[in-house]
Amino acid sequence: MTIDAIAEAPATRSIALTISPWAVLKWVVAICVAIVAVFPIWWMINVVFSEPGTPVSLNPRLYPTSFSAGFGKIMMIMRETDYLKAYYVSITYSLLTIVGVLLIGSMAAFEFALFNFPGKRLMFAVVMLSLMVPTAVTIIPTYLLTAEIGWLNTMQGLVVPGLASAFGLFMLIQFMKTLPKEMLEAARLDGASHFQLYRYIALPLSKNALVTLAILTFMKTWGNFIWPLIVAPNPELYTVGQVVGLFNSPYSHQTVDVVMTANLLAALPPLVFFLIFQRKIVEGIAMSGTKG
Amino acid sequence: MGAVRLLAGCSFFALSLIAGTAKAQTPVTLQYWVYSDFAQGEALKLQQEFIAEFEAAHPGVKISISGKGDDDLTTGQVTGAASGNLPDVFMNGLAAGAQLVEAGALDNIYFRWMAMPQSYRDQFDTSAIASCMPKPDTMYCLPYTGFGEIMFRNLTVLKEAGIDTTNPPKDWAEWLDQMKKVKAAGKFAMPDQTQVFNSVASTYAIVGPDSDWGIDFATKKTLVKPESYAKALQLLVDMAPLTSGTSRNDQATKDLFITNQLAFHVVGPWVDPTYGQAAKDSGLKYDFVLVPAAKEGDHGGVKSYEILSVAPGKNADISWQFASYIAEKKQMLRWAKLLSRYNGNAAAMADPEVTSLPLVAKSVEAVKYALEVQPPYFVGAYPNCYKSIVTDNAAAVADGDMTPDEGAKDLVEQLNDCIASN
Amino acid sequence: MIAKKHIPHYMMVLPFMLLFAVFFLYPIASGFFYSFHDWNATTTARFVGIDNYTRIITSRDFKKAMWNLATYIVITVPLGIFVAFCLALLVDSFKGTWSNIFRSAFFMPVVLPAFLAATVWRWIYTPNFGLLNMLLGWFGLPSVSFLNDTGSMLYALIAVDVWVSAGFNMVIILAGLKNIPTDVYEAARLDGASPLQQVRYVTVPMLYPVLFFVATYGVISALQVFDVPWLLTGSSFASYGGRSNALLFPVMDMMGRGFGALKFGQASAYGFILTAIIILFTAAMFVFRRKGYDQ
Repeated sequence: MTIDAIAEAPATRSIALTISPWAVLKWVVAICVAIVAVFPIWWMINVVFSEPGTPVSLNPRLYPTSFSAGFGKIMMIMRETDYLKAYYVSITYSLLTIVGVLLIGSMAAFEFALFNFPGKRLMFAVVMLSLMVPTAVTIIPTYLLTAEIGWLNTMQGLVVPGLASAFGLFMLIQFMKTLPKEMLEAARLDGASHFQLYRYIALPLSKNALVTLAILTFMKTWGNFIWPLIVAPNPELYTVGQVVGLFNSPYSHQTVDVVMTANLLAALPPLVFFLIFQRKIVEGIAMSGTKG
Repeated sequence: MGAVRLLAGCSFFALSLIAGTAKAQTPVTLQYWVYSDFAQGEALKLQQEFIAEFEAAHPGVKISISGKGDDDLTTGQVTGAASGNLPDVFMNGLAAGAQLVEAGALDNIYFRWMAMPQSYRDQFDTSAIASCMPKPDTMYCLPYTGFGEIMFRNLTVLKEAGIDTTNPPKDWAEWLDQMKKVKAAGKFAMPDQTQVFNSVASTYAIVGPDSDWGIDFATKKTLVKPESYAKALQLLVDMAPLTSGTSRNDQATKDLFITNQLAFHVVGPWVDPTYGQAAKDSGLKYDFVLVPAAKEGDHGGVKSYEILSVAPGKNADISWQFASYIAEKKQMLRWAKLLSRYNGNAAAMADPEVTSLPLVAKSVEAVKYALEVQPPYFVGAYPNCYKSIVTDNAAAVADGDMTPDEGAKDLVEQLNDCIASN
Repeated sequence: MIAKKHIPHYMMVLPFMLLFAVFFLYPIASGFFYSFHDWNATTTARFVGIDNYTRIITSRDFKKAMWNLATYIVITVPLGIFVAFCLALLVDSFKGTWSNIFRSAFFMPVVLPAFLAATVWRWIYTPNFGLLNMLLGWFGLPSVSFLNDTGSMLYALIAVDVWVSAGFNMVIILAGLKNIPTDVYEAARLDGASPLQQVRYVTVPMLYPVLFFVATYGVISALQVFDVPWLLTGSSFASYGGRSNALLFPVMDMMGRGFGALKFGQASAYGFILTAIIILFTAAMFVFRRKGYDQ
């Protein structure tokens, strides 16, 4: 902290000189909260990267103690479970869902937010009402329908039933309502077609909302457990969540560090994803919240 | 490779559809679901060996094995039954049996079973087979792996408490006495047995009798009797100040045992690999003995089996052949040797190669005395409230909120309400 | 008569509405149908009238679940917003890089899948030598079985929940803070308002719409709380809710009745009871907000 105070020369010096108890308290609180927020994740990494068998009471896992043990566990899980394939399935499932949700959601939101046409209010009301129905009501009928179409154990069976996201539509409508209507009007006078208005004006301007929806959809799809479980029971289509489920069974003979390793591997893509895109993610979420 | 297998499987499946009526030799791929443990590592290798042998003897038949977590097995089978997409051969726990029957997931294999040679049928443990037959002419499963509870003893802790460990405690009185000494030496005697349904059942098994445990689904009443159950509650009261506060399934309980903080752990044989590892790593000294009972010569503990079942439908014939092959002595012998786990094939369990394995030998003995956890099987499902009432009641009595007599009476009333309302 | 000029509009909403009708409307309608039937998903459904509904409403588990839910929401939502608000103020008081670093750190738990957060917290809560009990031990306090003591279970859940959601709400509130023009604060300062008074009389009123969004979203998701308590209690379809059902919540009860007891008719009925509650709640929130504007 002191280093960057020096680096920033005169402006910060005056701040550094007037250290008040408030400023100290502020730092202490911020650091404590940061520890509370990050520590469990840190701790999980330590459990993985430590010798198996040493009980937590002897080694509280405050820092990683054995990298080789950690890699050993990771390799073991990779070997035994086809984890790489599960990554592939989960990522494909997530990406296809994101693309689908964004595409059909933004098309519909564009109309609902910016135009009037007969039946719009009714359709909108029905979609909003469905938002209030918990998934558990629909899961069995949806499953039976998917089975009847013959989509069990297929990627389309995983993806397609989740594409019409009422929540996503709601979010995008809220955002698109704030788009400047004059711009659309101007473009139309320039001879842009209806679809071009959507493609070249509404879509680019809604980038923030789309990014947010993409992230929320990713989190939801990545964490989705019960739908893949029932609709794709074939190991060829195991998602990461299902592979982790193999380790989380209470009577499983696996020791806790192996279970943690399986869990950590599952958390890795979202964590990496977040660390890379964190600014975009945070700003996207902020934007959609304040516009809502 | 997996994709190739899937493709091959699909084309076989398509072929079999075109061919119409499927006979044994028509190409077919059977879906075979097992517990996730059995689809990993050494266990998986052996399962694949069985599969390869069976496939070699039955050209055209392919078997695709999938591992599932405990709950996921049932969920997958129930939804599969609803949409007509059941796996052909699958495992589950005996306790899930009633649910699977209700969902129509289980084929009645009684006549196929009876068509097997006498020598085959004689291989199995008779009480385990009886568990699979809820009524005459009806049979839903072959017993697979199973367990009878045993008591793991931490010898270091017991020595520190000044206890002679050459002989296990002969009855409850001596056992409780040892627990008190352990506590006096500043260690924990037992995990908290009130927390899990199975550990309450296990405590009941110490006093018995077996006939006063379970549900009578015909009259919708619990079989628990206040008089006998009050005795079990008394044991929980006696143990209450001596426990670690962790349940017997918690990882924390195993950690306590490994670090010489806990003297006794009454549980199934699945903790043995963990303890064996600790013996190598940190010098843990432990053994396993039969669970003492109230009377000398009798023993406590509960037992249950994993089952192997077949789905009804056009593949039922060949599925049965596969299931009966897997459960046969030769295979169960190899299985027991590899995993050191007890199973329902009594002939395999009596084989010298297996009786020399201490854990299996002890399990064979334990099963003879043990109490069925959730009888009767395949008749009715235990409602969620049933188990939570049992554990809540046990905890309340152990905490001193009720006397054992009051607790037992209250329990029976509540259980009957619970069964009636479901 | 649909005018020709509307056709492009319908074309654009068609993909969504089609998928929506097939995979949401139809299942909802079908679920509604089954909510009046005794149905285990395999055999044919038997009509039972409103029996499923009355059974649920009169059952002990339902009352317990609803009571748990009410207590949970009353504590979690305000507490979560309060914590998020404080965090947002805290982050806002830093400049540049540090502001970003703390913002990212506080947001980290949001990224973790729920099953992971629950697994880690189960360990933190372990009696005797879980992380939390080790801390208590350093201060000479006795060990607590956070997840098995009916007095502490709900609070243990709330702590996890606030840990998971605070970062998300913080980010939204933070953006709201940035939208407040600085001259409003200056005016307040000139009037002699202390920092606390500035928060009370400037920040909170200016943030009202944002806080409303956070609260509504928080309540709706809290009403459907499922996976964290399910995993914290080590639940399975055979047995769920933890000791004395202290962590039994409506969605858990519904899933258990469906996948555990194979009463899918009852589970659907349960879902519609919940739907009714959610609709009432949302309507109430919006009426409340309209009143807030009128004053």
